[in-house]
Amino acid sequence: MDLYGKMAATQDVKGKGEGGDQNFDYMFKLLIIGNSSVGKTSFLFRYADDAFTSAFVSTVGIDFKVKTVYKNDKRIKLQIWDTAGQERYRTITTAYYRGAMGFILMYDITNEESFGAVQDWSTQIKTYSWDNAQVVLAGNKCDMEEERVVSVDSGRLLAEQLGFEFFETSAKDNVNVKQTFERLVDLICDKMSESLDTDPAVTTGAPTAKLTDSAPPLQQPGCNC
Amino acid sequence: VTANNTPPRPSIFSTLRRPNVPKPNDFIALFNDCIAVASSRTQEYLLFKDPEDKFHPSTEVLTQVFLMTYISQSVNLNMTDSFNCTAMTPEQRILLGADWVWAVLEKPTKNPQIQIAVQVLHLPDMQDAEENFPSEACSDSILIAQESSNKNMYERMVDFCTSIGKDCYALFLFFGKKNDKGNIYGVLSNNFEAAIGKCNKIDRALIENFFKVFLQREKEPYKPLYCKLTCVNGKRLNV
Ligand SMILES: Nc1nc2c(ncn2[C@@H]2O[C@H](COP(=O)(O)OP(=O)(O)O)[C@@H](O)[C@H]2O)c(=O)[nH]1
Ligand SMILES: [Mg+2]
Repeated sequence: MDLYGKMAATQDVKGKGEGGDQNFDYMFKLLIIGNSSVGKTSFLFRYADDAFTSAFVSTVGIDFKVKTVYKNDKRIKLQIWDTAGQERYRTITTAYYRGAMGFILMYDITNEESFGAVQDWSTQIKTYSWDNAQVVLAGNKCDMEEERVVSVDSGRLLAEQLGFEFFETSAKDNVNVKQTFERLVDLICDKMSESLDTDPAVTTGAPTAKLTDSAPPLQQPGCNC
Repeated sequence: VTANNTPPRPSIFSTLRRPNVPKPNDFIALFNDCIAVASSRTQEYLLFKDPEDKFHPSTEVLTQVFLMTYISQSVNLNMTDSFNCTAMTPEQRILLGADWVWAVLEKPTKNPQIQIAVQVLHLPDMQDAEENFPSEACSDSILIAQESSNKNMYERMVDFCTSIGKDCYALFLFFGKKNDKGNIYGVLSNNFEAAIGKCNKIDRALIENFFKVFLQREKEPYKPLYCKLTCVNGKRLNV
């Protein structure tokens, strides 16, 4: 709750640089995690730059991009952190879990091992992040139907067990990429309004408009390809 | 990594050999070759001065010349499958303090096995003319990256390497030194973090001091792959 109060105040932090765009209402920090090569970097690349490359360049440590979205006339700046999946980067990547408001936990539907690791990643979130962080589970590469080894149902079931939202996605064919981010933003906004409602101290000086005025759009969790 | 035209000396990287790396000599020889080509190309521009003293290539350009030459050469020599080079994004350069990262790759997975994070240090007067951080446009994300930590660029890179472990080396690559502006030197260590414990802070003086130790020991070939930090007495520091 405290965190949301702080997040709403993030807009005052910056002072220097002319190019820095300080004109936003909220800043959300999001993280993409999951095994190496499941498509985290491609997913972010697709969302932020609408591009895809089939070459695999293993991410070194951590990286991020900034994207601004609009929701009910509010400008929300997303800081989206892309993490490297390998064990050797665990210390540096988990250091960035702190303060994250949302996670996209990704596996590759053609890679059993990456699906098996979801539980561990979920534990990492619980260990290193804040209790109220929202999580969306994404089964990526759903364009590769012939090589599929993880069924949609087992993905959905696991998400239910872990209490996460679920999408099958394709960074390559641009399936459910935007939807995944939008859903995560919705979840964070819902949580935020909830805590603003229950904690009057936070409401003082906080934006008056609620972000949940309109119902979230209906989503198809499955892959339509 | 000295790149003057004296007879070739075994590279400090030759000691990176690990018994479990398949045929390490293959890529180490190739790597040395790439470094030599990149260094001598860069050296051509280090001392450049136009007669009217109006044209000043930025530190960024020099770094790019080195990296482009290195990459072209390593692609030509077909060595990128076993030893790759990843240029950092503008954000990563600030977050991690590295300009690029070299990595020995594990064969089937292509996961990094040994890494060398590289930060280029330019002559102080050149660097002062610009900023402490790379002169990327002051975009949103650059500001966020800068504010992510209050450490300086040297410390960020050392922290990054330390967070990975002993198989990640930090290489500070000097494009010119005070008394030798036309040469390229490097200080490589996987133990810079000891300086943080003992000296509180890493700055250019500390790294250069390292370097003196390095040069003194250079008579013994091979030995100083990396100098253990000698700040125990504290006397050599902050010279
Ligand atoms: N077919 C297909 N390939 C993908 C998709 N997303 C990523 N890839 C490929 O999978 C490999 C690993 O992707 P990358 O984004 O680097 O994975 P990361 O390690 O999780 O960041 C690359 O070769 C990508 O081109 C996808 O949705 N469909
Ligand atoms: Mg990646």
